[in-house]
Amino acid sequence: MAVKLGLILLLFLLAVALTLGVGVQGLSWQAVRGAMGGYDPNDPLQVVLAEIRLPRLAAGLIAGGALGVAGSVMQALTRNPLADPGLLGVDAGAAFAVVLGALYLGQSDAGILAALAFPGAALAAMAVFLLGGGLSGEPGPIRLTLAGLAMSALLLSLVNGLILLRGDALEVFRFWIAGTLALGLQKPLLALAGVSLVGWWLALWIAPLLETLALGRGLARGLGTSPLKVQGAALLAITLLTGSAVAIAGPIAFLGLIVPPLARRLAGRNLRHELLAAPFIGASVLLFADALGRMILAPAEVRVGVMTAILGGPVFVWIARSLRLGEVR
Amino acid sequence: MKGFSTLILLLALIAFLSLLLGEVRLSLADLWQGLTTGEGPGALTLRVLRGPRVATAMAAGAAFGLSGAVFQMLLRNPLAAPDVMGFNAGAGLAVILALAFGLMLPMALIAALGGLLAALLVGLISWQPGRSEPALVMILVGLGIGFTASGLATFFLLTLTDAEASEARRWIIGSLAARSWNHAAQITVIAGVLGLLLAVQLRALACLELGPVLAQGLGLSVEAAKRKLLATAVLLAAGAVAVAGPVPFVALMAGPLGIGLTGARQPAARLLAAAGAGALILTGADLLSRSLWQGVQLPVGVMTGLLGAPWLMWLLTRAFGKVES
Repeated sequence: MAVKLGLILLLFLLAVALTLGVGVQGLSWQAVRGAMGGYDPNDPLQVVLAEIRLPRLAAGLIAGGALGVAGSVMQALTRNPLADPGLLGVDAGAAFAVVLGALYLGQSDAGILAALAFPGAALAAMAVFLLGGGLSGEPGPIRLTLAGLAMSALLLSLVNGLILLRGDALEVFRFWIAGTLALGLQKPLLALAGVSLVGWWLALWIAPLLETLALGRGLARGLGTSPLKVQGAALLAITLLTGSAVAIAGPIAFLGLIVPPLARRLAGRNLRHELLAAPFIGASVLLFADALGRMILAPAEVRVGVMTAILGGPVFVWIARSLRLGEVR
Repeated sequence: MKGFSTLILLLALIAFLSLLLGEVRLSLADLWQGLTTGEGPGALTLRVLRGPRVATAMAAGAAFGLSGAVFQMLLRNPLAAPDVMGFNAGAGLAVILALAFGLMLPMALIAALGGLLAALLVGLISWQPGRSEPALVMILVGLGIGFTASGLATFFLLTLTDAEASEARRWIIGSLAARSWNHAAQITVIAGVLGLLLAVQLRALACLELGPVLAQGLGLSVEAAKRKLLATAVLLAAGAVAVAGPVPFVALMAGPLGIGLTGARQPAARLLAAAGAGALILTGADLLSRSLWQGVQLPVGVMTGLLGAPWLMWLLTRAFGKVES
C-alpha cells in the first residue's frame, strides 16, 4: 500500500515539475527557487513562471482532479466502465451553454460565462442518464455510450449550425471544440476550485451509498438507501465537478475514462479510497498530456483536449474488448 | 406491397420538390418546358444544377441504407451501422492525412479507403473466437475506433493551413454540392453491382438472422458467410462516401424507417425498404439543408446530424425499453 501511495505521489510531483519546466521558454530549477525567494517582475523567467506556468498548473490541477473524480462517480453510478463525462455528452452540454451565452446573450464576463457551464452540464447529464436507461436500473454500456454519442452529435450539429449563421463565432468555437489549459489566468480559478472541492466532498460522502446501490435497487432499498436520492446526489456531484472543469479548460474527453481504472488498481476496490486517489491521478494524467502536447509540435502547441482524445480512444477500445458483458449487459 | 407504394410516392414527391426548390425557385411551367423542349431555366436545372445532385443523393442514400440494414440484420442490433462504428471517422481521418502530407489522389477515393481501413481494423480487433455477445463487442470497438480516429483527425487538422482546413472540413461533414452526372453514374453502378451481390447472399442473410446456432444447423458456414456479407455492406458504404462524403446517420436511420414505412418483414423486402428509406433521407436532408435558410447552404451532413441525433435518442428509449421491461 505504501509503495502504491508513493507511486501516486511521485507521478504527481513529476507532472507538476514537468508542467512548470517544459515549454517554449525552458525554465531551470534556479529560476523556480529564485521566484520563491522573492518575486522580481524584471526577470523574464520569473514572469513566465508567474503569469503563464503557474496559472496553467492551477488550471490543470483543478480540471484534471475534477474530471478524474467525476469519471469515478459516473462509473460507479452507471456500473459501466465506459462512462466518462466527455463521452456521455456532459461537457458538450456545458460547452454549448457557454457558447450560447457568449454569442446570443452577448456575455463577455468570465465569471458569468463560467457559471453558465453548470446548468448546461446538469441538463446534459440528466438527459443522457435518462436516455441511457438510468431509471430502469441497468444502463447497458452500448445504450449509455450511444446516448452520449447522440447528445454530443446533436449539440455539435447545433454549434456547427450556429457558427455558419454567425461569422464571428469561429474563434469561440475553436476554444470549445477541444480544451486547453492555456487560459487559466482569465478564469475565476479560486471560485471554481471551491466548487469542485464541494463536488469532491459530496462524492466522498455518498460513496458508501453508491456501493450499496450497486448491489441492486431492491437490495439497496432494503438496506435503507433511497436509490433516487443517491442518484440525484451523484448527478449533482458530477455536474459540479464537470462544470468547473469545463469552465476552466473547455471540453476534455476521456480523462474520466482513463483515471478510474488506474485509481482502482492503485487504491483498491473501496470506492472511497478510489475517490481519494482519483484527483491526484487525474491531475497527473492531464498535466502529462498537456506537457506532451506542448513538446510534440514545439514551438506550436497541441491542445490538451486533442491529446486526451488520441490517448483515450485506444483505452476505450481496450476496455470494450475486455468487458465481461455477461455482468453488465 | 401497400407500404411500398407509400415509400415510392414519398420518394417521387421529394425528388420533385428537390428539382423545384432551392436558391432559385422554379415554377412547374419552367420544369415542364425544360423537360419537353430542352430549353430555358428548367433544362439547365435538370441537366446541370439539380438533376445530377438529386440522382447522386438518391443512389448514395440507397447504398447507405442497404449497408446499414445489412449491419443491423447481421449484428441483430438496431444501433449497428457503419457510420456510428468508426467508418465515417476513418474516412475523415484519411482525408485530413492526405491533405496534411500532400497525397495527390482524388479525395473521394481517399475517403472510401480510410473508411475501409477503419472497418478492417474494427473487424480485426473485435474478433475474439468463442466469446459471448460478439456483436456487442464489435459495436463498442467500432465506437472506440471512431473516437480514436476523430481525435487523430483533430490533431492533424491543427497542422493544416486555413484553406486546406476548410477544404478538409467540407469533406468530413459530407456534402452534395456540385455533383455531376459522372458521380451519379458511378454510385448507381457501384450500388447496382453490390446490390446484386447482396441478392445472391440473401439466403445466408436470412439464416444468419435466426442466430448463429440455427444458421449452422441450416447448413451454413457461419463465419465465412458473415464475413462476405459484412464486406459487401462496407463496400456499399465506401461507394456512397466516395460521392457524398461521410454523411452521418443515414445508414443508421434507413433500416428502421424503411420497415416503419412499408411494414416489410422478409429480408429481401426489408433491404429494399431500407434502400428506399436511405434515398428518401439523404435527398430530403439535402433539400432541407439548401432551402431552409435563404442564402445559406448548409452541408447535408449538418442536417443529417440534426435529424439523426434525436432519432438515435428516440431509438434508445424505445428499442431498449422493450428489451428491458
